[in-house]
Amino acid sequence: MPHHSFIRLTKTRAAAALLAGGLAFSALAHADDKVIVLDSGEAKLTLVDEASRRVVGTEPTGKEPHHLMITPDGQSLIVADSVSNDLLFVDPHSGKVQRRVEGIEDPYQLGFSPDHKWFVTAGLRLDRVDVYHYDGHDVTLAKRIPLAKTPSHITFASDNRTAFVTLQDTGEVAAIDLPTQTVLWKLRVGSTPAGLWMTPGDRYLLVGMTGEDDVAVVDWHARQVVKKIQTGRGAHNFRNLDDGRHVAVSNRVDSTISILDYTTLTKVADITGLRPGPDDMELSADKRYLWVTFRFAKHVGIIDLTTRKLVDTIAVGRSPHGIFFANRAPVYAPNPD
Amino acid sequence: MIDTLISQLDNGVSALQTLLYIDVVQPFFYRFGLMGYDEDTYDALYWVLVGVLQVVAMYAVLRPLEALRPAETWRGRGALRADIVYTWIAKLGILNLGFFFVLQPVFDHWQSLMAIHNIPSIEVDALWPGVTDRPLVTFAIYLVVLDFAGYWYHRWQHRFGVWWELHAVHHSQQQMSLWCDDRNHFVDDAIQAAFFAAISLFIGVPPAQFVALFALGNFLQAVQHVNARLPFGPLLERIVVSPTFHRRHHAIGYGHEGTRYGCNFGVLFPWWDVMFGTASWNPAPEPTGIRDQLPAPHGRGLDYGHGVIAQQWYALVRIAQRLRGTRPVAAPGDAAR
Repeated sequence: MPHHSFIRLTKTRAAAALLAGGLAFSALAHADDKVIVLDSGEAKLTLVDEASRRVVGTEPTGKEPHHLMITPDGQSLIVADSVSNDLLFVDPHSGKVQRRVEGIEDPYQLGFSPDHKWFVTAGLRLDRVDVYHYDGHDVTLAKRIPLAKTPSHITFASDNRTAFVTLQDTGEVAAIDLPTQTVLWKLRVGSTPAGLWMTPGDRYLLVGMTGEDDVAVVDWHARQVVKKIQTGRGAHNFRNLDDGRHVAVSNRVDSTISILDYTTLTKVADITGLRPGPDDMELSADKRYLWVTFRFAKHVGIIDLTTRKLVDTIAVGRSPHGIFFANRAPVYAPNPD
Repeated sequence: MIDTLISQLDNGVSALQTLLYIDVVQPFFYRFGLMGYDEDTYDALYWVLVGVLQVVAMYAVLRPLEALRPAETWRGRGALRADIVYTWIAKLGILNLGFFFVLQPVFDHWQSLMAIHNIPSIEVDALWPGVTDRPLVTFAIYLVVLDFAGYWYHRWQHRFGVWWELHAVHHSQQQMSLWCDDRNHFVDDAIQAAFFAAISLFIGVPPAQFVALFALGNFLQAVQHVNARLPFGPLLERIVVSPTFHRRHHAIGYGHEGTRYGCNFGVLFPWWDVMFGTASWNPAPEPTGIRDQLPAPHGRGLDYGHGVIAQQWYALVRIAQRLRGTRPVAAPGDAAR
C-alpha cells in the first residue's frame, strides 16, 4: 500500500492553535498572508492580498485543483489536484509550493476526521472514496471504497468514526464507518446533493441540494430527511459565520447566498446582486467579510456582512473554486473546510 | 501585443460564455435534473463558442482566398452544401463532446480499477516536473502525441476495406474547399472520438484541453483543404501540413488509391510521413476524389451521394457489399481487401 511522507518542516512558524470548544484549527495572522484561490480550469492558484484586494501572483498546481484543506498542524495547505491524482502542499500564508504527494487518486474533495486520525478523499470522477490513516505526518491508504455515483463533498461526526459523503448523481448521502472502512448506510435526499455541514452537537446534517432550491436537513441518527429549508436554486456549499447561530449557503443557479439560522433551521436572509455561480466561501478573521468564488464569472467577490452587499470583485482565473486564507474565522469541527 | 489581443478575445468569449450559460444552459439543466453536468458543461461551452468563432474566422479569412486565388476553378459551389452542414456539426463540438461524455465514465471506471489493482497509468505531463507540467508545454505534448496517433489512424482508414468505405465519404468530395475537412461518416467520427478519447484519458488530458486540442486541429485542417493557392514555403510546409501537401493526399492515383496506396497521411504535422516514408512533396495539382467516381473508362461513375444522408447511407451499403463480397472492384487501383 502506498505510504506518503507529509511535509516535515524544519522551521517553526507562529504556532497555530487548536481551538477548544468544538472549534477546528485556525492559524494566526502572518505578515505574508495571502488569500489563496484555486483555479480548477487553468491548473493554478491565484494569490490575492487581503488588505488591498489585488492579485499579487499565481502559482502552478496540478490539473483541476478543486478543493483545499489546511493540515491539522497548520503548516501546510493541501491543494487536491483531481485530474493529476496528487496533493500539492503549499505554504498556507504565501501559497508557495512545499511538496507534491503523488498517487492520491482523483482527490476532488478531502477532509480530516476531527481527531486527525483519518484522511478521506472523495473521487467524483472515479466513483470512489479513499480512506487513509494519518499519523500527523504521513498518510497510508487504509482502503479504497467504490461508492457510486459521483461522491463529492465530505463531513464528519464528532465520534471520529463516521464520515458522510454526498453522492451527486444518485441523490444520496452515504455514511462510512472509518475504522472498518465500510459503507454503513445510504439515504436518498434529493436531486444533486453537494455541500455538507454538521450542526453543532452533531444533531443535524445540512445538505446543499444543487438540483433543487433548498437545503435538506438530515437527522442522521434516525436516517431521515426531516426538513427542507428553501434557499435558492442550486444550493451548493456552506460556510459558518462564527456567530454561534448562522451558516451561509451559496446558491449556484440563482447566484445568491442564503443565511440560515441553524438553531431554528430557518432562512433569515438572502444576499443578492452577486456575480454568476457563487461556490466556495471563506470568512475574514473579523467575521465581517465573506469572500466567495464566482465559478461562472472568473471573479472572487467580497461581501460585507454588516450590509450584506457585494462590495468588491477581483478578476482571477477561468474557473475559481476553492478559497482559503490562514487568517480567518474558525471553521466549526467536526466539519472540515 | 499578441498577449493583449488573445487576452481581449478570451475575455470576450468568456463574457459570452457566462451570459449564455447563466441565461440559457444552466436553467435548462436545472429544469431537467442535469445539474451533475453543471461544471463540465460550463467549461465546454467556452469551446463551443470558440468553434462558432472558428467557422466565422475561417470563412472570413479563407473564403476571399478561394475567390481570389483558387487552386481549381469550378462551375458552382453547390457541391459544398453538405460539407457546410458537416462543418457546423463538427465545429459546435456536438459529436466530440457527446462521445467524450458518454465514454468518460467508462474510461474513469477503468482508471479506477487500474488504481485499485495498482496498475500504473501514464501521466505525460509528469515526465519532467517543472517543464512538462507547464500548461503550454503540456498542451504541445498532447498535440504531438495525439497527432502521431492521428497519423496512424489515418493510415488505417486507408488500409482496411470496411474502414476505407467510411473514410471514402471524406475523399468523395471532388471540390475540396475550406468546408471539406469535417465531411466524414458519423460512425468514423464515433470510432475516431473513442480512439482519441482513450488516448487522451490514458495520458491524462483534461476534458477542457481535449476540446481545445481538437479546436486547434480543426482550424489547421480547414486551412489544409482550402481551394486556394496558399504556398507555405519550403520551411513551414515541413513543419505544418500545408494545403499543397494535403491536396496531394486527395489526388486520385497520386495521393491515394483507395486501400492500395497512399501518401501524405499526416494530420497536422508532416514529420510522421517523412519518418515512415510516406511523404510526397510534389506540388503539382491533380484532380481529387475517388477513382470509381470518375466516368468510364477511368472509373465507373459511382455515386457517393450529394447530401449528408445519402453519403452516410451509401457508405453503409458499400460496407455491406464489401462484407458480402459483392462490392465491384472499381477501378484499376481500388482492389477490395
